[in-house]
Amino acid sequence: MNCTTTASTTTSNSAHLNPLLPSVFTLPQTAQLEALYTIIRDKETSRGDFLFYSDRIIRLLVEEGLNHLPVVKRTVETPTGAIYDGVGFKGKICGVSILRAGEAMEAGLREVCRSVRIGKILIQRDEETAMPKLFYSKFPQDIADRYVLLLDPMLATGGSAMKAVEVLIEHGVPEERIIFINLIASPEGLKNFYGKYPQVKVITGWIDQGLNNKAFIIPGLGDFGERRYCT
Amino acid sequence: MRRETTQGTPFLLPQNVNFTRFIPTSPDLSTTTYGVPRAAGQTSNLFLQPQKNTVLHSHGRPPWYGEDGVRICDAFVIGVAGGSASGKTHVARQIVKSLGSIPTVIILSQDSFYKFHTPEELALAHANKLDFDHPDAIDMPMFAACLADLKACKQSNIPVYSFSEHQRLNETKYLYGATVIIAEGIMSLHDPELRALYDLKVFVQCDSDLMLARRIRRDVEERGRTVSGILDQYLRFVKPSYDNFVQPTSSHADIIVPGHNNAVAIELICTHIRRQLQERSNRFRQKMAIPHLYLSNQFGSPRPDYTPEELNLTVLPQTLQVQGIFTILRSKGTLRQDFVFFVDRLATLLVEHSLQHLPYAPHKVVTPVGVDVKGLKLDAKYVCGVAILRSGGALERGFRRAINDVPVGSLLIQSDSQTAEPLCLHVQLPKCIRFRHMAEKAYVFLMDAQIGTGATAFMSIRILLDHGVRQDHIIFVTFLVARGGGITVLRHAFPDVRIVCGAVDDVMKEGWMENYISDFNPEGVGRKVWVMEPGMGQIGDRYYL
Repeated sequence: MNCTTTASTTTSNSAHLNPLLPSVFTLPQTAQLEALYTIIRDKETSRGDFLFYSDRIIRLLVEEGLNHLPVVKRTVETPTGAIYDGVGFKGKICGVSILRAGEAMEAGLREVCRSVRIGKILIQRDEETAMPKLFYSKFPQDIADRYVLLLDPMLATGGSAMKAVEVLIEHGVPEERIIFINLIASPEGLKNFYGKYPQVKVITGWIDQGLNNKAFIIPGLGDFGERRYCT
Repeated sequence: MRRETTQGTPFLLPQNVNFTRFIPTSPDLSTTTYGVPRAAGQTSNLFLQPQKNTVLHSHGRPPWYGEDGVRICDAFVIGVAGGSASGKTHVARQIVKSLGSIPTVIILSQDSFYKFHTPEELALAHANKLDFDHPDAIDMPMFAACLADLKACKQSNIPVYSFSEHQRLNETKYLYGATVIIAEGIMSLHDPELRALYDLKVFVQCDSDLMLARRIRRDVEERGRTVSGILDQYLRFVKPSYDNFVQPTSSHADIIVPGHNNAVAIELICTHIRRQLQERSNRFRQKMAIPHLYLSNQFGSPRPDYTPEELNLTVLPQTLQVQGIFTILRSKGTLRQDFVFFVDRLATLLVEHSLQHLPYAPHKVVTPVGVDVKGLKLDAKYVCGVAILRSGGALERGFRRAINDVPVGSLLIQSDSQTAEPLCLHVQLPKCIRFRHMAEKAYVFLMDAQIGTGATAFMSIRILLDHGVRQDHIIFVTFLVARGGGITVLRHAFPDVRIVCGAVDDVMKEGWMENYISDFNPEGVGRKVWVMEPGMGQIGDRYYL
């Protein structure tokens, strides 16, 4: 049935980052996931399709990210009177999106976590130093007590993601309570990020081949924000 | 009394008919008589003339297949022939009326099978000079093929003939699921292929003068035609045809019914049909697939408890989030709004997981960065969903989130409160299942909240197979499967159907459902049901009510 699953293509994760870093988790590399990525990578894909299919991946990524949150034992009674030993969710969460592409992941986050609080952070490259610089941030007041799902679709060099984590830590969020979620990552970016913040869990959908000389992910999908917002 | 037809369009119930449902196929078909092509532009009158092609439903269709999933009986087919205006339609309708509560009856009119006309024939037809009373005017092979499909419980898409345009139209009319089929028309006993399909052959015998008298009155009063025009046509086409082709076929009939004062004859026919149906029903009731009858705790015949692997179930990975979602859904204290939210979330995960059962083929694309990628692409021509109402509808939002822009049909299957038999009440399937050549290529996601006794799953899978959908193209998506329930019987009958579930529960037991108000139980008296444990309660009620 899924004979095509195993005959994976050149873009498979292990091919580009082997072994996987201890803090990095990917989605199960199934045929249906690869078909999703094929659609959003295709430059001919319409904006409507790009929205629908990227939302599906984002939902799966958020679901995977939530699995890294702690749970507690919880016993409930079913409508038929039976007793069921299950688990209950523990700990408050909030999302933080790195503007502007990260905003595109908020809808997917809210579909999985109803009315979750979402902070924002704007990081841009400083023209003088060529280093990422914080321009704006707005977080929930009690962010230090929450688990943070940090959202940015593409992890290229990892510069802005590391800056964002730095800002979160400044606001009192412990490193191990940050879960960074992205659609496509470069091996270089993952190594840089892990080198600086080994405690932050990284959930990525696909690890690509690398970066080109303009620091674009290869093969990637182009500029996520541009394709999403048509700018 | 006003109900919806299977096509979703409203209709009026004629006062003289007291069936639960009454469905005209098309306005054109309903206003026709043999050999009397109406002039173009002539208006039809739905209320003066009887419907010819009709589908009648009463209380639902019980299983027509055995424990092994194989069909155990054909539909009962009656052929009714006789001269034009001899009263065939009346006989057919009286039979249906007198049979009372039989599941589904289709009256199939020969009129639908007039051949496609060439431009020359069309000109003749509009000049009232084409012989519609000759056997060659009828597409007999197609008539026989459609009837054979319906008899074998398959779907059929019968042609639609327009009497105002004197032409077969591009559209077809979808028919499925009849227990009794009545094929009526002047030539319905003419073709040996057709005759071979009938379980009962009826010829309506009527004196020529009586038929002519009825014809004159009808055509003058209802169609505004002149007596001389009617007589001209009668002498040229109708009378020779009757003498040469129609009357001789009476020798093939099992029963010859008079064309008037025939109440006794109809009662005799009905007694015969009832006895035939009863015999069949008795014969297959023992074999009928009501899976809970085979459950081990019912008769003490121990069936081994199969593991999910042995049952070939695709179970959603039990991540912490999935466990947490199930805990919320199983808890009786969960608020409705939370129940709905988490059902939608779980359904999305389930459908995403079930997509592994679709085929994918290599596909090369170029990214905006200008790099080639060897990826994969869905390799299925038709994909659609079918929700089993009511509780299967709870999976529909998740389905729409995961699969873009595909049609979703529905089936309504309820269990009879007395016999616990599943009854098929309503079938509305997407186009890619209604047509057999498409159904053979279609992948169908069948959605129901749980597989307990398996009776509903069993029937819905059988309906898809009847339509020509391949077993391994059916992906059954459900929240819960009861290990001790009908799943084992279902698996034996349909080993290749993909079953994707959120969790496998251990126990099936008989329970008591309180205040369940339905058509069968208007007072809401409690009734016995099979419940799963731990289960999620009545998922449909919790999601919708």
